[in-house]
Amino acid sequence: MLRVFLTAAVAGVIAATTWVIWDRVRGPTATPIAGFSAPFVFGRFAVPPDNPLTEEAFALGRHLFYDPILSGNNQVSCATCHVQALAFTDGLAKSPALPGGELEFSSMSLTNLLWGQERFFWDGRATSLEAQALMPIQHPDEMDQDLGELVTELQASRDYRRMFRKAYGEISAENVTRALSTFMRMLISSDSKYDRFLRGKARLSEQEEHGRKLFMAHPDTKVSLRGGNCIDCHSQFLTSGFRDALDGFSNNGLDSDGDLPDGLMAVTGNPAHKGFFKVPTLRNIAVTAPYMHDGRFETLEEVMDHYNDGIVVSDTLSPLILEADNAPEAGQGTVGLRMTPDEVQSIIAFLHTLTDEDFLTNTQFSNPFEGDS
Amino acid sequence: MKVKVFAQSVLIGAGLLMVGLTPAQSQTREESQGMVLLRGLPTLDTKHSIAIVELDPESDQFGELLSEVEQPDIQHPLHHLYYSPNGRLYSTGLDPSCSLAEIGLSRDSSGTPVIEGFTCLDTQGQIVGEDIMWATSNGQEYMFVTFMGGTGGDDGGSVGVFDTQTNEVVKIIEARKSQVGEGEPYIMYPHGISAFDDRMVVTSTIHPDMATGVGNVLTIIDLNTLEPIQNIVVENEKPLDFPSSPVEVLFARPDMHADIEPAILANTMFGFETWKIPYDTGSKTFGEAEVIYSGVANETAVPLEFYGTEDELFISHGLPGVVKRYELAALPELVSSGPDIVADPGAHHMIFFTSASGRNLIAVQNNLLNLGNAADDDPTDVDFIADLSAHTITIHDLETGERIAEVNFKERYNKGVDNVEGLFGSGFVHHH
Ligand code: HEC
Ligand code: HEC
Repeated sequence: MLRVFLTAAVAGVIAATTWVIWDRVRGPTATPIAGFSAPFVFGRFAVPPDNPLTEEAFALGRHLFYDPILSGNNQVSCATCHVQALAFTDGLAKSPALPGGELEFSSMSLTNLLWGQERFFWDGRATSLEAQALMPIQHPDEMDQDLGELVTELQASRDYRRMFRKAYGEISAENVTRALSTFMRMLISSDSKYDRFLRGKARLSEQEEHGRKLFMAHPDTKVSLRGGNCIDCHSQFLTSGFRDALDGFSNNGLDSDGDLPDGLMAVTGNPAHKGFFKVPTLRNIAVTAPYMHDGRFETLEEVMDHYNDGIVVSDTLSPLILEADNAPEAGQGTVGLRMTPDEVQSIIAFLHTLTDEDFLTNTQFSNPFEGDS
Repeated sequence: MKVKVFAQSVLIGAGLLMVGLTPAQSQTREESQGMVLLRGLPTLDTKHSIAIVELDPESDQFGELLSEVEQPDIQHPLHHLYYSPNGRLYSTGLDPSCSLAEIGLSRDSSGTPVIEGFTCLDTQGQIVGEDIMWATSNGQEYMFVTFMGGTGGDDGGSVGVFDTQTNEVVKIIEARKSQVGEGEPYIMYPHGISAFDDRMVVTSTIHPDMATGVGNVLTIIDLNTLEPIQNIVVENEKPLDFPSSPVEVLFARPDMHADIEPAILANTMFGFETWKIPYDTGSKTFGEAEVIYSGVANETAVPLEFYGTEDELFISHGLPGVVKRYELAALPELVSSGPDIVADPGAHHMIFFTSASGRNLIAVQNNLLNLGNAADDDPTDVDFIADLSAHTITIHDLETGERIAEVNFKERYNKGVDNVEGLFGSGFVHHH
């Protein structure tokens, strides 16, 4: 009897040990994301062939995104400046810099990054998410982390050793960026009221529908078509900028030639790109104030005042903005859309339909170090 | 008999709708993947399906079906494909059990297009769905669908007005010839549909059983009241000794091109003609209907579709299988803009797209009908008709018309190809 028991116990121990060893030496597992389905109206997207979307990479990326271990002082995580409830912005005009003071730019919403421009940051200086992810980690004002040190720190963690092994096989700076990119690619917002409207599952109010029409129309006084012209840059379904070439960057009339920041010109060296910035997504725009690359506008009302009659003319101002005028006969004192207060309010009402509560509270995107996951 | 079978086949196989494709303001163009409706051929034991086919001859996957969903339960196949302005995909159908359907599309985690399936919609008894368009009545947008069978009967036919969100029927526009007073406007066997301002036009084509009756008028509908207000006869030569059977219409209008004077263009399936009816915007009246293209004089037959690009209008002619091209800006006159694009017999629906290297291409679907096998006593196996169905999609250079490649669906998939008029994705939106 005892013998039987011992044999069973030994067998059990051997099995457990074998499993532990096997689990440590086996290669990565690539489990496709369960139930993945993207709205087809968002259009085509491509995931780098060497970094497919997998459950393992997503889980790892989510941990890294929320872990201050990524910063030199172990106090700043990506989520410090990219807060889920604020559609992954930080609610500040300009994000705080590590040594004190503030960064040059306002934090950007991380939503639907699978689509839209294939360049990242306000000035488009990163050409892939993978390339982008290393930048804040190493930047002295942001996370100020040495990559070698980061890898050493991660090696010391059993959890990370396991997660990296499952996702990619080994811990490396490159795999950190891959995992972060996978997490960010999965930040898909497609359940706002507008999305449900597109699917035929919700009705917009009269004011929201009026705003939607204005958003989608280029004004043409010849045929009495009133429009806000937004779709010319903020595309119809995603509301982000266009993907092709540099079409997703433009100058929307914030500054005069004298004050115009370099913007995209800093990256391309082309003076025609001076003052060009990335046309951002307007998804969840109601929760991402303040607005523009430097957070200069506090409210959507201020944004609309800008487009309505506050456009500042400069050499590279978008002709689409210069042309779009609902009341050209009203004199040339100001440049803007010259819509009625009702029309402006309708566009703002439409912008509120872009808020996706599900996305802002989805527990799959939340801090894995808190709560039950 | 031949003519009857011919008519039936043309109508079943032929989409005969009138749409143009223009690039939408969208970044989502799927450059070269066509949505096709394939018809199962009973004698070859294949089933109807909706599929996505790669049409770029430069692609390794040229001619491959990237995704396909079969429709085993439907006797007659789906018929036409239309993207709504909000990017939802709809199809009309010839089977009474599915006269109108919404098709589900999505993408998997590699970005690959997936057809998820389709849902047949409640049409409240309206059958034989043909064309769809989205238009506004009193500031509210609706989906308008022509039902050639309408709610049934010898002089049936209806225009269904649907809620664009819920797909529910809001109104059935009907006016039976036998019930309206003498000389009052009627709607019968409607097929083509187009609109400008507050005027909509539908055609009166042929009873779906192909035997009961053939039409020869256009019906004008007032979009304010959603009631028919006028009939316009479009009949002249009768090469087949049948009523003219107008099929597709295009309300040529300034928002297609600023230089266009508004007028209705209509193709007559059995008259082989293209008609023009000028419209006066001020008085909201239509002028004299006149023939501006004669198939008899030009040795073409069965004029079918109207499609537009930014600067040209294309009209397909089933026989001998050509697509004629015209200056868009010159409409409503038909001013040639280049030599015919020589496709295959049955030249019908088409799409415009670019190849990987940026070459502008046009793909023409060549199929009016689908043929059985004489050995099975299938009445559609008639030589004259056989000539009308190549079962191919031919791909041509858009500038020169030069034929570059073809996909033969019958050879490759044992199926007929009924339709190609949309690309996958919402990058192209149909315009009537
Ligand atoms: C100190 C605040 C801060 C931290 C920490 C931070 N970011 Fe950002 N993030 C920003 C700001 C500010 C911008 C805009 C910067 C610019 O354009 O130069 C930005 C932009 C981005 C963008 C570009 C989005 C687009 O649409 O182009 C991505 C992606 C991004 N951050 C990801 C991350 C990741 C991943 C981390 C962690 C590794 C991280 N950020 C850490 C502040 C921060
Ligand atoms: C000519 C292109 C263009 C047009 C037209 C345009 N935008 Fe923009 N929009 C931009 C660009 C570029 C930015 C970023 C500018 C910057 O920060 O320097 C932007 C920024 C915004 C922002 C701030 C986003 C953020 O995350 O801070 C909002 C809100 C906005 N636009 C709304 C609209 C609305 C509403 C309309 C129509 C009334 C419109 N835009 C028309 C190009 C355009």
